Amino acid sequence: MDNLAEHISSHGRALLNRRDFLRQSGMAMGGIGLTQLLAQDGLLASDNLTVSGKTPIRPQIDPNNPYTPRASHFPAAAKQVLVIYCPGAVSHVDTFDYKPELTRFHGKKPPGIPQVTFEGPTGNIAKPFWDFRPRGKSGKMVSDLLPHLGGMVDDFSFFHSLNTQTSAHPQGENFFNTGFTMEGFPSFGGWVTYALGTENQELPAFVAINDPRGMARSGKNNFGNGFLPAAYQGTDFNAKNPPSNLARPNRYSPTDDKRTVDLLNRLNSKHLEGYPDDADLAGRIASYELAGKMQVSVPDVMGLSHEPESIHKEYGTDSGSNTKREYAKNCILARRLVEKGVRVVQLFNGSDPSGGNGITNWDSHNEILKTHAMQAEIMDQPTAALIHDLKRRGLLDQTLVVWCTEFGRMPFLQANGTGRDHNPDAFTCFLAGAGVKKGFSYGESDEFGFKAAVDPTSVYDFNATVLRLLGLDHERLTYYHNGLERRLTNVHGQVVKEVMA
Amino acid sequence: MTLMIKFGLSAIASQFGKKGWLGLNRRASVRPMQRIYFIIALATGPLASAVDFERDIYPIFEEHCIECHGPDKQKSEFRIDQRSRVLRGGDSGIPGIVPGNPVESFLIEVLKDPDPEFRMPSEADPLSSDQIELIEAWITEGSEWPGQMDVVVEEVSSDHWSFQPVNRAESPVTAEQAIDAFLLEKLDEAGLSPNPAADSRSLIRRVSIVLTGLPPVPERVRAFQKAYAANPSASYSDLVDELLASSHFGERWGQHWLDVIRWAETNGSESNLYRKNAWVYRDYVVRAFNDDKPYDQFIREQIAGDSMDAGEATGFLVSGSHVPPQSVGREETAIRQARADRMDEIVQTVGASMVGMTMGCARCHNHKFDPITISDYYSMTGIFQDIEFGGRRPEYSEDHPKRQKAAPLWEAIAEQRKILKSLGNWEEDWGGYRELYFDSVKTRKIRISFQTPNAKIDELEVFGDKERQKNLALASNGATVDGPIEMFGDVRTNFAYANDGEYGAFGLQLKAPKKSDEKPWVVVSFDGPQEINRLRLSSNREYYYEVDYQSVEFPMGFSNYRLEVENEAGDWVEVASISKINTANKNQPKRAAAIAKIATVAEKLAEVGPQVSFVGRFVEPVVTRVLSRGSPESPRNEVMPAAPMILAGDLGLSSDSTGSERRVQFADWVASSENPLTARVMVNRIWHHVFGMGIVPTTSDFGKAGALPSHPELLDWLAAEFVEPSTSGGEPWSVKALIRLIVMSDAFRQSSQPNDAGLAADAGSSLLWRFPPRRVEAEVIRDAVLLASGSLDDSIGGRGYRIHNAKKTYSQWEVVNNYGPETWRRMIYQERMRRVDDNMFTAFDFPDCGQVRAKRPISTTPLQALNLLNSKFVQEQADRLAERSIKDSADDDLEAQIRRSFQLIFNRDPDDEELAASIEVVKESDLSLVCRSLINSNEFAFLP
Repeated sequence: MDNLAEHISSHGRALLNRRDFLRQSGMAMGGIGLTQLLAQDGLLASDNLTVSGKTPIRPQIDPNNPYTPRASHFPAAAKQVLVIYCPGAVSHVDTFDYKPELTRFHGKKPPGIPQVTFEGPTGNIAKPFWDFRPRGKSGKMVSDLLPHLGGMVDDFSFFHSLNTQTSAHPQGENFFNTGFTMEGFPSFGGWVTYALGTENQELPAFVAINDPRGMARSGKNNFGNGFLPAAYQGTDFNAKNPPSNLARPNRYSPTDDKRTVDLLNRLNSKHLEGYPDDADLAGRIASYELAGKMQVSVPDVMGLSHEPESIHKEYGTDSGSNTKREYAKNCILARRLVEKGVRVVQLFNGSDPSGGNGITNWDSHNEILKTHAMQAEIMDQPTAALIHDLKRRGLLDQTLVVWCTEFGRMPFLQANGTGRDHNPDAFTCFLAGAGVKKGFSYGESDEFGFKAAVDPTSVYDFNATVLRLLGLDHERLTYYHNGLERRLTNVHGQVVKEVMA
Repeated sequence: MTLMIKFGLSAIASQFGKKGWLGLNRRASVRPMQRIYFIIALATGPLASAVDFERDIYPIFEEHCIECHGPDKQKSEFRIDQRSRVLRGGDSGIPGIVPGNPVESFLIEVLKDPDPEFRMPSEADPLSSDQIELIEAWITEGSEWPGQMDVVVEEVSSDHWSFQPVNRAESPVTAEQAIDAFLLEKLDEAGLSPNPAADSRSLIRRVSIVLTGLPPVPERVRAFQKAYAANPSASYSDLVDELLASSHFGERWGQHWLDVIRWAETNGSESNLYRKNAWVYRDYVVRAFNDDKPYDQFIREQIAGDSMDAGEATGFLVSGSHVPPQSVGREETAIRQARADRMDEIVQTVGASMVGMTMGCARCHNHKFDPITISDYYSMTGIFQDIEFGGRRPEYSEDHPKRQKAAPLWEAIAEQRKILKSLGNWEEDWGGYRELYFDSVKTRKIRISFQTPNAKIDELEVFGDKERQKNLALASNGATVDGPIEMFGDVRTNFAYANDGEYGAFGLQLKAPKKSDEKPWVVVSFDGPQEINRLRLSSNREYYYEVDYQSVEFPMGFSNYRLEVENEAGDWVEVASISKINTANKNQPKRAAAIAKIATVAEKLAEVGPQVSFVGRFVEPVVTRVLSRGSPESPRNEVMPAAPMILAGDLGLSSDSTGSERRVQFADWVASSENPLTARVMVNRIWHHVFGMGIVPTTSDFGKAGALPSHPELLDWLAAEFVEPSTSGGEPWSVKALIRLIVMSDAFRQSSQPNDAGLAADAGSSLLWRFPPRRVEAEVIRDAVLLASGSLDDSIGGRGYRIHNAKKTYSQWEVVNNYGPETWRRMIYQERMRRVDDNMFTAFDFPDCGQVRAKRPISTTPLQALNLLNSKFVQEQADRLAERSIKDSADDDLEAQIRRSFQLIFNRDPDDEELAASIEVVKESDLSLVCRSLINSNEFAFLP
């Protein structure tokens, strides 16, 4: 028998096994039904372990109100989070990651530079397009491109050794914001509101403030709910455009609205009599009350005219390009939302590149000197004012600020070009505010800023750290979907404790 | 023979000392054949003592490995103290050692890994190079392990319930009573009893929505109520038959299927381009459910419909999102990664929808919960190696209407070509490409000289009459393209782009220098002399065929040209010139007429004939390899195309099997009545859509991480009944018959009213002591509003309606009009844009089509309320509903108007209190406002 087995092909063996499988299982199963077998199996899906072997912490969600505030896993200073996302990939070597070697090798092509990167053939090393100088008490080197943010480095914790999994924007945005390069996974903001609910029941728990120029390349995927319930998607509005269908249409008077709702309540109460204590029905009735409150509270929070002129001046709503003025208003809106206790505010600085590379976002393949300057003009002053304003009002004590972009840019130019291509292997982001070390830098890229060198940090690590700062265990914050306890960090990620205050 | 050599070599090898081996081994890793020579050559060298496992190797394992990979702990399911376990490997799915081959041995890989995250021993210093060399030598010598050489590697096995054969329990009752009998048993155990029958209005509303997605019209409700009063059983049975026969049945159940496979009409990703004619697959699915296509056949066609005259069914395989080449970029690693991602989308689709297994977990390592290995995963990608995301003309049966309509048109074209042939060369414009016809000529080389300074060619094809469809210019057929390298119009361009067989992605771009008389040209050299008579050129065929609704057009990027061939003397001879053809057309009306006729017919053909549709295209399968840690940069051992081994998945296929053969075999495996998962998964899915929850609540995961069935015997009975109906004349795999069986049960027909005992013992109603009420889906709300207001255009199939703008390649779809009359079709026909908010129903858990969605979550949010209160859609529909109610009622009879509105929305009259309240609203405002309240009510939004 052994001899036979040795001589037959792997196909043949598998076929033999198949017959055995059917026969054996047939015999084994002959007498007992499935029930007994299941009883032996014991575990129910709800008791699944996560892939890393931990027990999930499932938020207790009240169907009547999916946004009820819930406790974090650990005590944490940060109760809220403001994410400032810069689509298009900000050049780290021209902003926060000082690399004097680039000046030394300017115009040269040292060994180790690849022949082809995302957009094609590579050119020579280019020194930073802006001069760097020491800033703040910490003396952190920041370029002249971002003087306002540069002035605040003593409040920031930089990550200089970030690396990501893709050099394409949409996948990069997906990966940063959802933990997966593919589409359809819950966004960071979705995960946080699913875990924590929100304090202010009259405003959305998660607001996505899109850039005045439009949505980023991955669109709604950056703030979507993925497979989480729709309750945890980001509500999309900015200083200019309120959420769709929020306003009472002109044709209805306030009395019309009241009549509609009164009649609706009467119909619903009668219907509820047939289903006493039905939580789904009661929850839907409650959602109409909340909608009514939002019709008041959202326009209220959008009322930037109540802000003093000094604030407008500080943020820069009165100077510079139109886009900058609009973005500055978005920044004031972001502060007002944080002030009102909105759990997650995601502020975008950049949109889809239909206007050309480097024009509508940070994707400076061409003329980086001009295009990065355009983006910086929009981003720098308002963003710095926003963080400063939060600090002044004491809101940074309970708010985590995350400034980020999907990847970096290359230390060399594109062949015969004036811009830098995508760099997935090294880039810089920073944290500030609640629970974050001040005036600190973690990790280093190599001498050219080409690859992460010291303490390489993945986007998983970064997201795990951000969740940890919000008091959440990235390995236990899970949602069962299609066979797995899914997480923001998939099966990876290590908290970078070094940046925690 | 191979085995003998191997053993022989090990024996020889074992006589060598470690030093002699190592240099040799490094070289040997390059090419296995060389190894033999080296070994033989070295066999004459001096002998040294062999590596001794117990003396040299085991102490290393003991000191550095056993703590985590020994008897106490088996991290990553890997154990190093037993030879058989080391051979099998751990979670990585890759053998820890391959005796005789250290290069293929995962143990060596992890010991040497430069990345500390992956290197072993974990969080410790790496082993010394001497130690590693010693282990390598031991492996090379055959991994001699005293006392354990005979231990066989165990086959993977599982006693998990869903992998066992379906076991039809004896049922003492008839098939019609069986469902209730199974349910009652469980209810009894829990001390519960089922509810009484639902009232007839609730019943018809419920069954109509469940079966067709549309509530009944008031007239049908009245007729049913009357008939039900006289004979409940017969009238209900007739109603069910009527609904199953309705062509709206396929729309409702088709949508369920489309949800699971996250089918959409855009690519997703950055550009999120529209997939032209992808909707032929949606129509196929609707038709399949309407025709009650046997489910096994439905499976086979979706996997291998190209060989079954159901080509459009393979739209199934490319239902997931993909990143088009432009967005992938030009790095080879990114291109390989993108292909691996596309294969993963296919595996996910098939796994989740048909097999009920989450295969994706095994992409990087063995499945954590289920006996699915990394080899199983890659074997499954092997099945689909010939599939690429893109379009093709679907294979339709001869009697398919599209083919019927096309046949006479092709004849008309042939007729015109005959005329043209007698008059010389000619050129045809087929929209996506231009085709030049010339007299057959034999040559090794052709030259194309353009007459203007720019030329963009995404593909250049040359054909002859010998094999009419064989593109002789294709690189893989041995042809090369060359030309003036100094004219590259872009640093990234390449001559190879012109004959790589890829449409669109990257084209050859040539640009003549300024102020120069030179013009771009290309030379195509064939693989030997070829008889040729047609040249086909295009600039961006991908966009023409696969993309739609672009705000910018993509005209041909080349001008008139001359075609020359090289004669035997090596001279260039002109065979055709487009400008000469154009002049001839002008001068010869007969030619011009024929060309014009072809153009007209071609246009018609593009409309009514089989069109290139986004249902997948075919590529040559390549050898499939396991990708270590899921990385395309770490290909390992070759695997055969196969289904999972735990499920008897060997299909007798090899790397030489054709793509079609692979998929046909695999489809047979899925559709086999012996497959323990297929029928269970589908009956459970159907149950889920009827009752709102599956017998197995995790409808696409029947693995260990999934939930257990609440009623296992019932599940198996249904699965058995599905495959082999016990009723006489029952058709196997009939979806309609199964649905009929379920909705005819008392469980389905009972009331949904709660009671204290039921709520206390089983709040989720999973034991079905009542029919579980639930909020209806986005589509049901929208379709029902349109139906009630009399606005619904209920035509079936065809191109969908759109609510979005036309856009540039890199910009977002924006909602332009989601309420106007052209959108008043059923929502299944709303163009399905991936991850685009429709500003209305996305809030109602309408899927974004990013990931597979076995079931939609049901959430309640204030945004839903705002959308239903304030959207233009509801404003306008409330008006139309009011107008209709007024029109349908006698003049000025306010009460009748209100009653009519209630009937149209709820299928019932208002009670006195509701009537009085409504009258008040109408008097102070208008009936439209009452309709606005009705549309927003819980009663309308919930399945009774």
